[in-house]
Amino acid sequence: MGWKNKQLSKSLWVFHVSGSPCNNCDIEILDLLTPKYDVERLGIKLVGSVRHADVMLVTGVINRKIAPKIKKLYSQAPKPIFVVSIGTCTPSASVFKQSYNRVDNPEDVIPIDMYVPGCPPKPEAMIEAVAKLIGVLNE
Amino acid sequence: MSGNRIPLGPFHPLLEEAEFFEIKVDGETVVDIDMEIGWMHRGHEYISEMSSFTQSIYLVERICGICSTSHPLACVHAVEDIDNIEIPIRARYIRTLVGELERIHSHLLWLGLAGHFIGYDTVWMWAWKYREPVLQIIEAISGNRNHYGIMRVGGVSKDVDPSNIPKLLEILDTVDKKMDMFAKVVNDDPVLKKRLVGVGVLTKQDAIDYCAVGPTSRASGVRGDVRKDDPSDAYDLVDFNEIVLQNGDVYDKLVLRVLETKESIKICRQCFESLKTAKGSIINNVKEISPGEGIGRYEAPRGEVFHYMRSDGTNRPIRHKVRAPSYVNIPTYKASCIGVSISDALITLAAVDPCYCCTERSLTITDINQRSNSLDILKLSKEKTEKIRREINGK
Amino acid sequence: MSKLEKFIEEMGDKITRKIDKKRRFYFNVKNENLREVSEYLFNNIGCRLSTATGMEMTYGIEILYHFSDDDTGQYYCPRVVIKDKKNPEVNSIVTIVQGAEWIEREIFDFWGVIFTDHPRMEKLLTLNHPEKLDKPMRMKEE
Repeated sequence: MGWKNKQLSKSLWVFHVSGSPCNNCDIEILDLLTPKYDVERLGIKLVGSVRHADVMLVTGVINRKIAPKIKKLYSQAPKPIFVVSIGTCTPSASVFKQSYNRVDNPEDVIPIDMYVPGCPPKPEAMIEAVAKLIGVLNE
Repeated sequence: MSGNRIPLGPFHPLLEEAEFFEIKVDGETVVDIDMEIGWMHRGHEYISEMSSFTQSIYLVERICGICSTSHPLACVHAVEDIDNIEIPIRARYIRTLVGELERIHSHLLWLGLAGHFIGYDTVWMWAWKYREPVLQIIEAISGNRNHYGIMRVGGVSKDVDPSNIPKLLEILDTVDKKMDMFAKVVNDDPVLKKRLVGVGVLTKQDAIDYCAVGPTSRASGVRGDVRKDDPSDAYDLVDFNEIVLQNGDVYDKLVLRVLETKESIKICRQCFESLKTAKGSIINNVKEISPGEGIGRYEAPRGEVFHYMRSDGTNRPIRHKVRAPSYVNIPTYKASCIGVSISDALITLAAVDPCYCCTERSLTITDINQRSNSLDILKLSKEKTEKIRREINGK
Repeated sequence: MSKLEKFIEEMGDKITRKIDKKRRFYFNVKNENLREVSEYLFNNIGCRLSTATGMEMTYGIEILYHFSDDDTGQYYCPRVVIKDKKNPEVNSIVTIVQGAEWIEREIFDFWGVIFTDHPRMEKLLTLNHPEKLDKPMRMKEE
């Protein structure tokens, strides 16, 4: 697996899934692609289909209606795939703790490899996360 | 061939909801559209009814990342409406300032994504590049790029340092110049005109029937702007114009947003000037809320945000109702989308500005028999622009 | 005479328990008069239906409509009280205001209120929900 992972680290293709976010993390992710942060210089590209992706970004607290769809999506992804959760909502549910329509444990829906907390995380934090991920893959 | 179904979605985050669109096409023409929502339902109202008035403000901020001033503002207006709480003058200017800065960055965001959808990726990159200075100003005022958390019942929690204002005004000037450039591009570009004029028309009667709000209805010739009709905060102290256009097509919605951004910059300048001199505190201490009910509203970038609060005298609301602008704007698809060609469908759906950062990242789901997916729609849209561009350049 | 005064005069005793605050006017209306009042507000005054709020109270279910008059900034809020919590039913106003379609479906989803003559009375938010929901989402009492 080590060799394969090392190949992936050259250019991570990212697919973005929204659990049920407030849109903010999603916009910050898009912000990363635009001139100020421009992560394409690190070989990162946002792709339109999960079948092309190496990394899945999950944002937002996962809603009970959307959970089966996310599960299905994960099963469609080529392995190995790394799941990065963006924002505080996915791991801890944040302000939505009392909600009646969220899944209790996001790890039941999708196995998460990496958490980037923050509401929303600063683009700099996300870049650092990506750099760390590349570092881990290269080991 | 009739009755081909094209699924779009379900990922399409819009406040509490994301939709699943099912577009029925006959050949290339859209004949029917159906929507299913609820993918983003998190139960904000329910959680809010279990938290105190101050906690509610932080909660409603997280309804939508782009409207993260509009919802808290409407929410505090609703609480203030129960007791007719007065707000200090300085706080009124700060509220207006942050609200208008949000409008600028939201409209720039829309402009960029609309450009992306019709194959103008340069516009996307540029618009988002010039959105950054606005976020910088917001960060200097509130301390965060997106969720500001500065609204309170009776005022605001953070003050603007007068010594920073000249610097912030300078940053605003750079945005203003770039908006002039965008306005010129929109006026001059023949491809853009040919691509958008007459596409996805929402007639005036439909806008009234569907109770559309904000830029969606104002582009169709229906006037109505909460900032003018029900002025709160400093909107009755500043000078600005309400922009109403007549045609109701996507081009008019584009022009309207560019013009509105110019107006917002004008309001921001006036607020900065007033903040240099306005004295006094920024918050009135509110001890308790008496029993009663209140309605608060605010003109978000997408239209009227509506909040209803009912208090029984305790520190929690017993009912909190939220209605976001896209909730009433999205059903207008039934009127505006039918009859357009499938390559125009995407920009027509996007014209309402339903927080669609994921529309084009929507998933290919479930049905294997359905060949088309949303990515094809994006491709179709881009190809059409390219075709028009070639035609015009060939002449 | 302002629009509001004219409205109160025209409606007479169809509207009760009037509360008049600055730019906000709340009043009770009976289910059978709801359509007439909405029609007057929508067609004669030229209001826009902002939304409707459903509420579960001890004495029943309350539906509060919010009609906004954009020229004056005045809110007209007719309130309908349904005593029967088991089988709540209200007249639908979709035939008058097209924009009420989703609003009424949402109330049906949250509180189980059935709107008679609604063209498509199904759930809005929990349509095709993967889990079985045996009662309206927001109702506390059975």
